[in-house]
Amino acid sequence: MHRNWLRWLASKKVKSLLMAVILFVSSLSLVMMAVAQQQPIRLTMMLQASELMPLQELVRDFEAENPDIRIELIEGPDNTNLREDLYTTAFLLGDSAYDLVYMDIAWVPKFAAAGWLLDISSRLQVQEREDFLSGDIEGGSYEGKLYRMPFRSDGGMLYYRQDLLEEAGYAPPDTTEELLEISQDLQAQGKAQWGYVWQGQQYEGLSAMFVEILHGFGGLWVDPDTLEVGLDQPQAIAAVNFLKQTIAERVSPSGVTSYQEEEARRVFQSGQVVFMRNWPYVWRLASEEGSPIRDRFGIKPMVHAPGYSSGACQGGWGIGIAKTTRHPDAAYKAAAYFASPEAQKKFILESGFVPSRRSLFTDPELVAAYEYLPDLLEVIDNSVLRPPIAQYAQASDVLQRYLSAALTNQRTPERAMEAAARETRQLLQR
Amino acid sequence: MSNALRTIRGREHLTGWLLLLPALMLLALVFAYPILRAFWLSLFIENLGTNLEPVFTGLGNYVRMVGDGRFWQSLWITTIFTVIAVTIELVLGMAIALVLNESFRGRGLARTIAILPWALPTALIALSWQWIFNGEFGVWNDILLRLGILQEPINWLGEPGLALASTIAADIWKTTSFVAILLLAGLQSISEDLYEAHAIDGATPWQSFRQITLPMVMPQILIAVLFRFAQSFGIFDLVQVMTGGGPAGSTEVVSVYIYATVMRYLDFGYGAALVVITFLILVAVVAIAAFLLSKAQNRTEGV
Repeated sequence: MHRNWLRWLASKKVKSLLMAVILFVSSLSLVMMAVAQQQPIRLTMMLQASELMPLQELVRDFEAENPDIRIELIEGPDNTNLREDLYTTAFLLGDSAYDLVYMDIAWVPKFAAAGWLLDISSRLQVQEREDFLSGDIEGGSYEGKLYRMPFRSDGGMLYYRQDLLEEAGYAPPDTTEELLEISQDLQAQGKAQWGYVWQGQQYEGLSAMFVEILHGFGGLWVDPDTLEVGLDQPQAIAAVNFLKQTIAERVSPSGVTSYQEEEARRVFQSGQVVFMRNWPYVWRLASEEGSPIRDRFGIKPMVHAPGYSSGACQGGWGIGIAKTTRHPDAAYKAAAYFASPEAQKKFILESGFVPSRRSLFTDPELVAAYEYLPDLLEVIDNSVLRPPIAQYAQASDVLQRYLSAALTNQRTPERAMEAAARETRQLLQR
Repeated sequence: MSNALRTIRGREHLTGWLLLLPALMLLALVFAYPILRAFWLSLFIENLGTNLEPVFTGLGNYVRMVGDGRFWQSLWITTIFTVIAVTIELVLGMAIALVLNESFRGRGLARTIAILPWALPTALIALSWQWIFNGEFGVWNDILLRLGILQEPINWLGEPGLALASTIAADIWKTTSFVAILLLAGLQSISEDLYEAHAIDGATPWQSFRQITLPMVMPQILIAVLFRFAQSFGIFDLVQVMTGGGPAGSTEVVSVYIYATVMRYLDFGYGAALVVITFLILVAVVAIAAFLLSKAQNRTEGV
C-alpha cells in the first residue's frame, strides 16, 4: 500500500499535475500581492470623541488629495490619562495598532524616552519650523530631537473683568502685588465676592498652574539638562506663599484647593470674581450669548512677582508617529497635512481651539471669528514648559502631593517643598 | 534509588509522581514562573531613567520602598478598605443567609436574586455606582435630598473621606451575596435535631445561634473571610473605574499604585518589587487564616 502510493506519486501524470498546481498557487499569490500593493495604505490614530468630528473633515480633505492613503480615526475615552494608558499598552505589546499618535505635550518625553516615537527632526524643514510657536516645538522635542508635529496649542493666562477694573480706575495688573491690592479693594467695595480663582486641586492642572507662578517668582522646578531641582529654593517657597496668601487674605475662596478648570470658570463666568487663571477654551464659553460677563472681560499674560517675567504654561496637542508603523512616509504626510495652515484654519473655525502657527493668530478670517487671538499670541509667546524629563509623570505627582499638602495647611510651605525636592531628586538619580 | 524501585511501594510512589507530573508542570508554568520572574525583575532597576534597560540593583528597590510614603499610604488605605468591607459583608451576609435558610414562599427566587450582584461584571457595577454617587445627577443625593437628610448635594466621589466610603459601599453591595451563599451552604449542613434538643433544654434562639449556629458554620465563615480578604486586598477594577485612586490619592489602593508605577511611570523593576511585597503580605495573612481554619475544622469534627 505504502509503496504503491509512492510509485503513484512518482508517475509522470501525477508529476505534471503537481507541477501545474504549484504554478497556479504561486501565480495566484503573486497576483494577490500585486492587488495588496494597490490597496490604499491604512493609517490609524486614536483620539477623544469630542475632537473626532472636526478632525474627520480634515481626514476627508486629505484622502481626497491622497487617494492611496486612508486614515482611520479611532474613538478613545474622554479621559486623557486613559488614552495615554491605551497608547502605552499598545506600545508595550510591541506591534502597535496605531500608526499616528494624537498626543498631549506632556506625553512627549515619556514616549520619546521609551523609544516608541519616530524622530521627525530631519523631515520638518527649518524654515517651516519657524512658523510654529517655539514652545510647541520645544515641547514636542526630547533631547534635541523633534517627535511631535504641533497641531493645536494651549497656554495658561489671566482673565480679568475689564468693566470692574475700568470703573475703579485700575489698569490690568502685571504683578502679584497689584493683583492682591485690586482684588481686596474691589471686594471691600462689594463689586465682587472674590478676587482671584485658580486651580488648586491635586491633579495635573495644579502642576500646570504652579509652573506659571514658579516662573513668575524666578524659581525652577527641574532643569532638564542638569537635572537640578529647585523646589526647595527661596523662590519656589515664595511662590507657594503667594498662593497661600490669596487664600489667607480671602482673595481666593478656601474651596479653591478643590477647583479644577471648570469650577474656576463657573464662578468667574457667574460674575462674582475679578481675576481667574485658566486656558483659552474659557474665552469662547464666557463670550457665548447669555453669559453674564460677555464682552466684559479681557485676557493678559499671567501676573509675576516684581522684577520677574510672566510665564504661560505650554499645553497643546500634536501628532507623533509610532516607531512600529509600516508606513512612516505616509504617516508623516498625514501629520504634516493636519499641521498645515489650511487644515489648522479649518479645524479652528470649526472647533475654536488655538492654532500652533504664528501666522494664524493674525489671520483676518480667524480674528473675525475669535477676536482674542492677537492678545493670545502675546500670552503664548511667554510660554514655559513643564520639565521635559522622561519621568515627568512621576515628578508631577510628587509636586502635586506636596503642593496640595502645603495649600491645605497639612505642612508648612518650607517642609512641603523640601520633601518634594528630596523625592524629586531621588527620582532623577535613578 | 534502585532499592526503592525494587519494592512495590517504591514503584507505586514513582507512578504516583509520574502521574502528578503534568499537573505539577502546569502549576509551575502558571504560578511559579510568573512569581519567580517578578522576584527576579524586582532586583533590577528598569525604568525611563535607564532607557528601559535592566540594571542590577540587588535589594535597592526594597530599600526604596521603605522610604516611599505613597506606598505606605496605599497599603494603609487598602487595609482600611479590606477590614471595613469584609467585616460589614460578613455581618450582612450572615443575616441574609439566615433569612434565606428559613422556608418561605418564593425562597428559590430570593436565593437567585441574592446571587445576582456577585454575578455581574465588576467594571459595570463600578460604572453604575459612579453614577449613583454623582454629585449633580446621582440617585443617592436625590434620595437624601428628598428625605431632607441633606440640604444640598454632596460630591461623594470628590471628597477624600467620602470617596473611600463610597467605594467600600459599592464593594459591599457586590460581594455580600457571595458571603451569604457560602454561609448558607454551611447553615444547611446543620442538623435540625441539634436545635430541637437545645430548645428542649430551654435555650433561647439567641443562645442557639451563639452555641450551635456560629461554631458549626465557623469553617464557612473562615473560608468566606479568606476569599474576601484575598480579593479585597488586591482590589483593582472597582476602584480604578469608580475613582481611579483619587481624589488626591485618597482611594489609591495598592493595586492602583502598582498599576500607576508600571503603566504610567514605566518603572518596571520597582513595580515588580511592589508586587512581590504585596504578594508576601497576602500569603502571610492567608497562611494564618488557613491555620485557624484547620483548627476550627478539627474542633467542629470533635463535636
